Amino acid sequence: MTLPKKLQEIVDDFASMSREEKLEMLIAYAESFPDLPERFQEERANMEPVPECMTPVFIIAEKVNNGIQFHLDIPKQSPTVRGLAAILTNGLNGCSLEEIISMPADFYMPMNLQEAVSQQRINGFIGALAHMKQSAVKAG
Amino acid sequence: MSYARPEYLVDTEWVAQNVNNPNVRIIESDEDPLLYAIGHIPNAAQVDWFTTLQHPLRRDFVTREQFEAVASSLGVTNDTTVVFYGDKSNWFACYALWLFQYYGHQNVKIMNGGRAKWEQEKRPLVKEVPAFPPTAYKAKEADKSIRAFRDDVFRALEAKKPLVDVRSPKEYSGELTHMPNYPQEGATRGGHIPGAVSIPWAQAVNEADSTFKTAEELKALYESKNIKADDEIIAYCRIGERSSLTWFVLKYLLGYPMVKNYDGSWTEWGNLVDAPIEK
Repeated sequence: MTLPKKLQEIVDDFASMSREEKLEMLIAYAESFPDLPERFQEERANMEPVPECMTPVFIIAEKVNNGIQFHLDIPKQSPTVRGLAAILTNGLNGCSLEEIISMPADFYMPMNLQEAVSQQRINGFIGALAHMKQSAVKAG
Repeated sequence: MSYARPEYLVDTEWVAQNVNNPNVRIIESDEDPLLYAIGHIPNAAQVDWFTTLQHPLRRDFVTREQFEAVASSLGVTNDTTVVFYGDKSNWFACYALWLFQYYGHQNVKIMNGGRAKWEQEKRPLVKEVPAFPPTAYKAKEADKSIRAFRDDVFRALEAKKPLVDVRSPKEYSGELTHMPNYPQEGATRGGHIPGAVSIPWAQAVNEADSTFKTAEELKALYESKNIKADDEIIAYCRIGERSSLTWFVLKYLLGYPMVKNYDGSWTEWGNLVDAPIEK
C-alpha cells in the first residue's frame, strides 16, 4: 500500500519506538495540538452537545489550493484523543482528496499502538479517520 | 445532615496540605491516562485502570499477589492513607478506591471534585514522577461483599432486590448499545436488566466543580427511586467505572451497608446468551 509521504514517515517512526517513546510522542502531540481557528468557532458552537460530556471531537475539513486541511477541536482534558488525532492531522494535512479517501483503514497496524493505548482507543482512532474522510469529501 | 462516613472524603485544601505527608499517598486514576504525564498533583503517583489494575489476560482484576506488587510499587504500606483523585468527576478514582477496598485496604479517601476542581482552583500541577521505596504490602482475601458477579445479579433478579442502572438515559432505554461517543465498548443487545431503576451517576455530582451533592440531596435522590439503606443493592453501568462512583456515594456518603458494584455491567449482561433484558 502507498501512504501519503508524511504519514508514512510517522508510521515508520512509531514502528521503531518503544512503548515509553510512543507515550512520550503522544504526549508531545497532545501538548502541541493546535487550537481551532477562530473562523470555525461559530460552527463549533452549533454542534450538538454530547450527553455526559464525553470527549466531543469536532472535525472540519477545508480545501486549500489543491489539498485538504483538517481542523479538529478536542478538549485539553483528553490528551490521548488529541495525541492520536495529531497522527492523522500531521500525516494528512495538505494531501489530495484522492490520497485521503484511498487510505486503507488498517494503515496503523505497523505502528503497534496497542503497546501504548487500549484497543478501545484504537477503535476510536479508526472512527476518527472515517469521519475525517467524510469531511474531506464534503470539502473537496 | 452530614455524610454518613465523612472520613472517606477530603477536599483539595487537605490534599494540598498533605502532599508531602509520609503517611499519605496521593494517587491519580484517570479515564485518560496521559493526563498524569501532562501534569499532576505534586508527589502524586498514578494507577491506570487498564494497565495497572486489570489482569493482563482474563477479563478480571489483578490477582491478590499482583495487587501486592502494585501497592508496593506505589510505596503504599498497609497503614498508608491512600487518597484518590482523577478526571471525569472521579469515576476511575472511585474505581481504584473500590479495588483497593476489594483487596482489604481500609484507609482510603476520595479528593472531592477531583482533577477538575484542583485545576479550577489553579493549584500546581507538575510533571515530575515521584519514586517511592517498595514496601512489603500484604493484601487481604478479596472482599466479595462489594463486588457482584453475574450469578449475584441473577439471584437479585429472582429475589426482586434493587438494581441501579447508572448509565445515561439512552443507554438505559436501549436506544444506544454503548455510551455516547464510545461506540467501541458496546454490547450486542440494548436495554437494561429487568426491574433496574435508572439513576444516572451524574445526578450525584455537581456539574460546576465535580464535587458530590450534599447528603440531603443524595438521600432525596435515591429514596425518591425507592433505593433504601436496608436494601441489598447492586449498581451497574457499562464496565463498572461509573457505577463505582455510585457505589461510593451509596456506601460512604449515605452509609448504606449492603452495596455491590457489578463490574461486568452492560458489556457482560448485554452480550450474555439467555440473559433477560427489558427495554
